[in-house]
Amino acid sequence: MTTLVLAVALFLLANLAVALIAAARGPTAADGMLVALLIGTTGTGILVLLAPVMHLPALVDVALVLALLAAIGGIAFAKRAWQRTEGEHD
Amino acid sequence: MIEWLSMALLLVGAFFFFAGTVGLLRFPDVYSRLHALAKADNLGLGCVLLGLALQAESIAVALKLLLIWPLVMAASAGISFAIARRADRLGITPWRQERP
Amino acid sequence: MTLAFDLLLALSLLWTAWRTLATPRLDRALVLFIVFGLLMSLAWARLAAPDIGLAEAAIGAGLTGALLLDAYGVLRRRVRP
Repeated sequence: MTTLVLAVALFLLANLAVALIAAARGPTAADGMLVALLIGTTGTGILVLLAPVMHLPALVDVALVLALLAAIGGIAFAKRAWQRTEGEHD
Repeated sequence: MIEWLSMALLLVGAFFFFAGTVGLLRFPDVYSRLHALAKADNLGLGCVLLGLALQAESIAVALKLLLIWPLVMAASAGISFAIARRADRLGITPWRQERP
Repeated sequence: MTLAFDLLLALSLLWTAWRTLATPRLDRALVLFIVFGLLMSLAWARLAAPDIGLAEAAIGAGLTGALLLDAYGVLRRRVRP
């Protein structure tokens, strides 16, 4: 059982790494932010999966905080930082 | 029985996460990528959380795990709405397939 | 499998750190900084230090990232009205 949980965590981390490499080459700034969104969800999943593997129930709290603060970062990006740039067309 | 159900839910969750990543990589514009990400990933996270809650040792731990899901869904809906509206305001037009 | 997990985590952490420093565009670098914070909190969790992971997720990725993005927006508006 623990092996399966760890395998799923490893699979999620691989997903995350692939998306990360793709995002660094994306055309617009929004691609990067979408990856931050992805990592908020996937990171929450990985932390929740690590909690029973490592016998640390406190990791669930870390996952909660991560889910909450990824939202704050995303909102700050959309409301404040993302402005028009000249050469940027999607 | 519960063990098998939990394993199946974990695998289904991993599949939905994979689908979200593929959507992020393959879809053509911001709106469709946002749609793939927000829906598939949250469903995958829900499956993983349910699978882990089934094998939690106490009812309090299971409830806490299940509490993460509504929080993540609300946060994700908020961010997706903000990003999509900002993209629309910046004049990014949605992708359309060219007619042959 | 634990070793594979740790290796992948460390590699992506190093890669993100390098990209954060080497990216020419500021907005991209800020997003990568947030990603770095999230990966760092995963690394702290893997090192069996959930309290530091909590602080890293809250301060490093969340608050500092949001403040930097806000500062970037203010700068952009001031430079090019």
